Amino acid sequence: MRSLLLAVLAAYLIAAIHSILAFVNKRRSLQRVAEWSTAAGFILHTCALAADWVIDGHYPLFSLREALSFLAWALVALYSLVLYRYRTQAVGAFTMPLVSVLTLVALLFGTNSTNAPAAFSATWLFPIHTTLLIFAYAAFFIVFMASVMYLLQERELKLKTFGATFHRLPSLTTVNDIATSSATLGLTLLTLGIATGVIWSSIRFGRFWRNDPKEIFALLTWGLYFFLTIYRLTAHWRGRSAAWLGVVGFALVLLTFLGTRFLGSYHVFG
Amino acid sequence: MSILLVGVNHKTAPVEIRERLAFTDEACANGLRQLVDGEIVREGLIVSTCNRVEILGATSNDQLEFGAGRIAQFLDTSGSLPAGFLNAHIYRHTNEEAVRHLFRVASSLDSMVVGEPQVLGQVRHAYALGVEAGTVGRVLNRLVHHTFKVAKRVRNETGIAANAVSISYMAVELGKKIFDTLKGCSVLLIGAGEMAELSARHLVNAGAARVTIANRTEETARQIANEFGATTIRLDQIDQVLHETDVIICSTGAPDYIVTEEQTRKALARRRNRPTCFIDISVPRNIDPAVSNIPNVFVFDIDDLESVISSNIREREREAERAELIVQSEVMQFQQKLRLMDIGPSIGALKQNMQDVARAEMAKQRKRLGVLTREQEEAIESLLMSTVNKISHPLISQMRRFYESNETDSED
Repeated sequence: MRSLLLAVLAAYLIAAIHSILAFVNKRRSLQRVAEWSTAAGFILHTCALAADWVIDGHYPLFSLREALSFLAWALVALYSLVLYRYRTQAVGAFTMPLVSVLTLVALLFGTNSTNAPAAFSATWLFPIHTTLLIFAYAAFFIVFMASVMYLLQERELKLKTFGATFHRLPSLTTVNDIATSSATLGLTLLTLGIATGVIWSSIRFGRFWRNDPKEIFALLTWGLYFFLTIYRLTAHWRGRSAAWLGVVGFALVLLTFLGTRFLGSYHVFG
Repeated sequence: MSILLVGVNHKTAPVEIRERLAFTDEACANGLRQLVDGEIVREGLIVSTCNRVEILGATSNDQLEFGAGRIAQFLDTSGSLPAGFLNAHIYRHTNEEAVRHLFRVASSLDSMVVGEPQVLGQVRHAYALGVEAGTVGRVLNRLVHHTFKVAKRVRNETGIAANAVSISYMAVELGKKIFDTLKGCSVLLIGAGEMAELSARHLVNAGAARVTIANRTEETARQIANEFGATTIRLDQIDQVLHETDVIICSTGAPDYIVTEEQTRKALARRRNRPTCFIDISVPRNIDPAVSNIPNVFVFDIDDLESVISSNIREREREAERAELIVQSEVMQFQQKLRLMDIGPSIGALKQNMQDVARAEMAKQRKRLGVLTREQEEAIESLLMSTVNKISHPLISQMRRFYESNETDSED
């Protein structure tokens, strides 16, 4: 499956480069190339994941390598949604490079050495748990990115320094809307993800809470995004502070996703 | 055929000269009929706007110099200026240069404000006048249509006209940066100056739903209000509408602040922190600069607007560089077209000649064939013609190729 993933990486790289060029040069033709290669990469990636599933015989989301690849795939899916809904091309210039990096790292990890214990693949609840969470992380990345765009744009408007990004970023309302809807989506996914995890854990081990670092961080993350989403939705609170929270929240997401590996979590996989 | 362009523009001639040369639509038609004699100047077109008067002509290759002189002379007489008076102001472009100049003009690269959209309409109008006068022929027709294509390409593929460069349009631009769309936005004009009115007009055109005007003298306010279907309020009623306003344009002559920080804070709390955009074009300023400290409120004074404009001009200039590349490649393409047009008639003549020869030979031998049915006659005719075509085709391709390479050589 390496060769297929290589093709995926190539498509994503082309998309990333053209997105950045389109962002800098504001050319529609470049954007079109970016969108087509994103689509091609996504289809190939879907095939690669399906092939992994068939060949390895378990849901392709267990080891870190698989998690990274799956995350890249989820990011592309959400990015496509944002692009379709808001027609903001600038998003690609921020998302596709990350997607490319994730795919590259997944490739560098080489082939699967750790095979999932039967316990994990036996029940359908576990794959649902992980899938929901990966999509939640991807949604939080979109929140993060929209928040950064908001902060950049707002800064320029407030300080009246109208640089090159001023002409290229989407409007404040648009990025605010993207952040709000992604935060809502992310929170919903996170809630369901945690819920399925808890249910799975209590079925499998007879207890739903194990004081695992990852669980604690996940709960913190949930709290933060709950706060953020509620406030965003009630619209009393928006703009800068909400954007900052979107940035801080993502740091927590990163810590939950990767950092807890170093804190001796039993959530050894992604 | 050669293309000629002679004229003056805002860079080469002051308005005193341009206004004497400017053509009305009527004068344009008469002038064209007078200028285009079918001998030296075969085709003609006059582009006359407030910033330029340019005459485009087509002549045969060997009468290029002569044609240019004639057009210059025509400009002298039509402006009732002494002969040679314009020499210091006039530019004469021929062939490639003329084509490039026209492309640049229509793409608004040669305009006073790069990217302004009117000039293309003016070129279109000039073309219509030329067609009406019957002075636009094969060459200029092609050229003008290609020009429209280039202008369209430049507008679509570059952001040359993307960013506002006038104060009055700035409200729309900044509003869009904040609200994405101005559809449904409500606007408050504080003070009813000319600039504020113009800004409001742009905002309404961009979709703003409601305009309110607060002015010291209600009479003026009402006059403008009628134009927009706006409502008027007194200056001391601003508090009542501030919370439901998205864009505020302030332009009174008042010596102190009309909108204060505290007022705005209250309004913003009432509008649940939805962003608000203040545009203050009055000097001294009418909106307390401290208003800018409130989150989700954006205040732009006259200097800020100027700085956005200069940033936008820089952006347009960057885009203009890309437009120049498009123009360059289109000039090359058009030159090639033109060359093919030149060779066209000789190719037609050659083909005709070959067909005549074939028919003549056939006529000579016809008797020997005896009586033929109509079908057989047609078969022989088509056989001859297809033979002629098959023989002439590689020859013609060769000619075209030779012609092109030859032309390029002679240009070097």
